[in-house]
Amino acid sequence: MIDRYQRGMNLQSPPPPRTLKGFFTDTSLCIGCKACEVACKQWNQLPADGYALTGNSYDNTGALGATTWRHVQFIEQAKANGGSRQEQRWLMMSDVCKHCANAACLEACPTGSLVRTEFGTVYVQQDICNGCGYCVPACPFGVIDRAPIDGHFEPGTAHKCTLCYDRLKDDMTPACAKSCPTASIQFGDVEELRERARRRLGELQARGESKARLYGMPDGKEAQEVGPLHAFFLLLDEPEKYNLPAVPRLPRRTMAERYGWSAAVGAGFALVAALVFGGRR
Amino acid sequence: MMDQQPTDGYYNYPVVRRPVWTWEIPAYFWLGGIAGGAYVTASLAQNFGSAEDRRYLADGFYLAALAAIPCAPLLTADLGRPERFHHMLRVFKPLSPMNLGAWTLTAFAPLTVARAAARAAETQLLRGPLAALTRLVPKTLIELTGTVLGLTLAGYTGVLLAATNVPLWAKSKLLGGLFMASAMSSGTAAVALAAARRGAPDAILHRLATIESAASVGELAMLTGYLAQSGKTARPLTSGRVAMPFWLGAVGAGTLLPLLLHRIAGRRHGGILRSLSSAAALGSLAGSLALRWSIFEAGKVSSEDQAASFELASD
Repeated sequence: MIDRYQRGMNLQSPPPPRTLKGFFTDTSLCIGCKACEVACKQWNQLPADGYALTGNSYDNTGALGATTWRHVQFIEQAKANGGSRQEQRWLMMSDVCKHCANAACLEACPTGSLVRTEFGTVYVQQDICNGCGYCVPACPFGVIDRAPIDGHFEPGTAHKCTLCYDRLKDDMTPACAKSCPTASIQFGDVEELRERARRRLGELQARGESKARLYGMPDGKEAQEVGPLHAFFLLLDEPEKYNLPAVPRLPRRTMAERYGWSAAVGAGFALVAALVFGGRR
Repeated sequence: MMDQQPTDGYYNYPVVRRPVWTWEIPAYFWLGGIAGGAYVTASLAQNFGSAEDRRYLADGFYLAALAAIPCAPLLTADLGRPERFHHMLRVFKPLSPMNLGAWTLTAFAPLTVARAAARAAETQLLRGPLAALTRLVPKTLIELTGTVLGLTLAGYTGVLLAATNVPLWAKSKLLGGLFMASAMSSGTAAVALAAARRGAPDAILHRLATIESAASVGELAMLTGYLAQSGKTARPLTSGRVAMPFWLGAVGAGTLLPLLLHRIAGRRHGGILRSLSSAAALGSLAGSLALRWSIFEAGKVSSEDQAASFELASD
């Protein structure tokens, strides 16, 4: 009986846990070639997004979305009248799903379609997702999105980076990291990547990159609510410059207080109504 | 669209994604609120009211059932894959307000129908074997359970919107309380409207007016707190495209007008009292829809407000 229910509802026991896998995206090495965007689209068979020009530097991708799981940003920091080298620069960054330790999308999902895999990544099970769309505004980074209902690509369900779950299962490197020609995108065990990131930050700071910082490490304030990011970054400026929130919010943290106000109003109303009916006045 | 002011961010691009939901969602929030509010008021009248209260206000169970029945179809229609609606119930996960709501609605809707059927049998509206079947309905028990479920259904919708990263929905902690107050006032208003049409005694209409006014005062308090906590983040609501429905509909017709009309009706009797009560109830019902719709639509605009997103994420 329970067996049949589990089969019917696609409830299966999860595979045994493996070492945490993730990305370390070192933006100081990014040259904006967009090979990651292309490799991701090819491997995951994601459709093209058209040929619209944004007019914002070389970024014609715009944002992460249902069919865009890597997005290269081009941040032009040029002052008209000179300035130091620090002020004349062109920052590039390949953005991706952060695979948060406490993922807002996963917690919001009402069907259990969004799961944590054995590699510690966050994954949408396409056969479970019913396209309720709740994960979309839940994500503090604006990563996950629902594919258009009238489109050709998996219509009506939620999509985002899978960290190439299919490749991980076969001990292969995700497509974006594999294709990155400068090792800006590095793939591996999260613990080892963090070690590497700390060393790299030290090197850059020694060279005078005073604004360089890591984003998504366990001790960072960005990890306060969503926890450490399994896809984390070395940035050369404040997170906001890359459209990353300083303290990404996890809705669960404030949920009890919100329910509390709602319950208080409801209980207050019921009390007043009972008194009015009971008092017969 | 937000004003194009220079910000610290990346080309003034949004930080979070725009919600994909359409009109079905605010319509459901409205009907769910009415269903919950009407059921709670009718149940309390059954258990605490006089014989007359019990007779005239049991129509609230019909209203609750009528409002609850379209809820599930509306929610299903908004899904990207409607044929998988039942996946909502493949897990029990109250941590997700949407899962909690799906379970609450699944339990509440049949309950309202059962209680309405029992009422129909009492008044000889329903006869035959079905009427005999309704004698099995444990009325007091489902009135009590339904009150708890109805309150949950009425309030969780505000928490559902608030438990996101859309600045307008998430900044203040009071959206759940606001939706609850609005649901209770509109649910009671629906009951009052039906009672006025059936020619209920003046005393009943006065009692309902007191209850409705209490809910409206609560709604005004929640709304004031909500706007104060939201600050600049509330601009898409207070001065954007939805400003008119918000101020005139949600605030004016939904709370101020009913309060005023009930005050005038306080010492009136008979026909004029019934007219004033009905007008107040219609205002409250329309205002409750305007509130859900304007906050829902303004939330989409707010999701594109980069500065508001950064403010939500500042420590």
